[in-house]
Amino acid sequence: MRRISQKMSTRTKLSLVVLFSALTLVLNSCYPGDAITAADTDIVATYFDKDADFATKLTYSIPDQIIRLDENGDPINDPGANDQQILNKIKDKLESAGYDLIANPDSLTNRPDVLVVAFVNQSTWVSGGCYSSWYSWYYPYYGWCYPVYYTYDIGTLLIVMIDPTESRNALWVAAFNGILEDTNAGVLNRINDGIDQAFTQSPYLYK
Amino acid sequence: MKIIKLKSWQMFAVFALVLLMFGSTYAQKEQWYGAFSYSVSIPTGDTKTFIEEISWRGIGLDYRYLINRTYSIGLFFGWNVLYERSTRTTQTDNGAVTGTSDRTLNAFPIMANIHYYFGKRKSIRPYVGLNAGGYIMNQRFEIGVFAWQDDSWEWGIAPEAGVVIPVERDFGIMLNGKYNYALTGDDVFGTTINHSYWQVNAGFVWEP
Repeated sequence: MRRISQKMSTRTKLSLVVLFSALTLVLNSCYPGDAITAADTDIVATYFDKDADFATKLTYSIPDQIIRLDENGDPINDPGANDQQILNKIKDKLESAGYDLIANPDSLTNRPDVLVVAFVNQSTWVSGGCYSSWYSWYYPYYGWCYPVYYTYDIGTLLIVMIDPTESRNALWVAAFNGILEDTNAGVLNRINDGIDQAFTQSPYLYK
Repeated sequence: MKIIKLKSWQMFAVFALVLLMFGSTYAQKEQWYGAFSYSVSIPTGDTKTFIEEISWRGIGLDYRYLINRTYSIGLFFGWNVLYERSTRTTQTDNGAVTGTSDRTLNAFPIMANIHYYFGKRKSIRPYVGLNAGGYIMNQRFEIGVFAWQDDSWEWGIAPEAGVVIPVERDFGIMLNGKYNYALTGDDVFGTTINHSYWQVNAGFVWEP
């Protein structure tokens, strides 16, 4: 009986090892996400002033250019290929939300309720980390770890709605951020989708 | 962006050590027994807020010592990988954020436990028990080119109920469910939360 028991033990322990090995392989990916595309890096974030009464904001004006900022945040004169399409898209969405454009504002009789300004910034994002794995046995980098670094060109579009009559924070801000490794048409499509999403997730703007 | 890949060789070493313990003690003391189980995790509470999807990645190792015919004390080691790729919009207090986000939680419960068994030895034995100890919690949230990670030890408990079904003289099947509840913890942004998830386990028992 003891011998039978020992045979079973060997068999069952063997199956345990096989199962364990198989599941270890399945589990080996601690961060199991698939690869992402440039479009997957797009983020649309919106902010609004909780004290703002958007129902009373019926008209808007918008500069006929997008203000470009360098990496230090200073404005630069470098129009982008898609600027006019982006401005048109913003105007379309504002008008569908119930805002009327005042094309030639002045400070006396033709004053808009809100001013909408678009900013663009492009920067290089450096990212990296320390990977440890079985390879670390063979690669003598920092003990168990070897360093990995990436660089991305990323762009940010900011749409800011301000009240020209008050000195206060913006009433509404939409920020669109993503990696620029894409065709020009691809980037434009993603920006258009991002502007659509910014308005979709801001229902309080609509009349 | 800080990227830390979990040291899988370390977990392998822990499990391999437990396997050695299984093997070496089996022949010596039959009041010891062990179990190896496949584990499915169902997030609840704060964990579900972070990751909604059920996890099909998980394993567990039990090592139990029968102190008499109805009670055992032991140790449990587990590994559950909860993951979700989400494109849902997250509402904030005064705004919203939309983007493709990868949310990952690696939970490694390491617990001491006590179990009470109904029925007779070598028969089908339902049991109840309580696990107490903690979790190594590795959380990661990625959206766009941004990432937040929090690696920590959290104290926790896990009530458990299950059944051991003998198949052969020293071999059986174990089915059980646990409710894992971390008594301490923060999310990746530093907000205090309590991770919790159901764990449904199915596995093999040696020398039940």
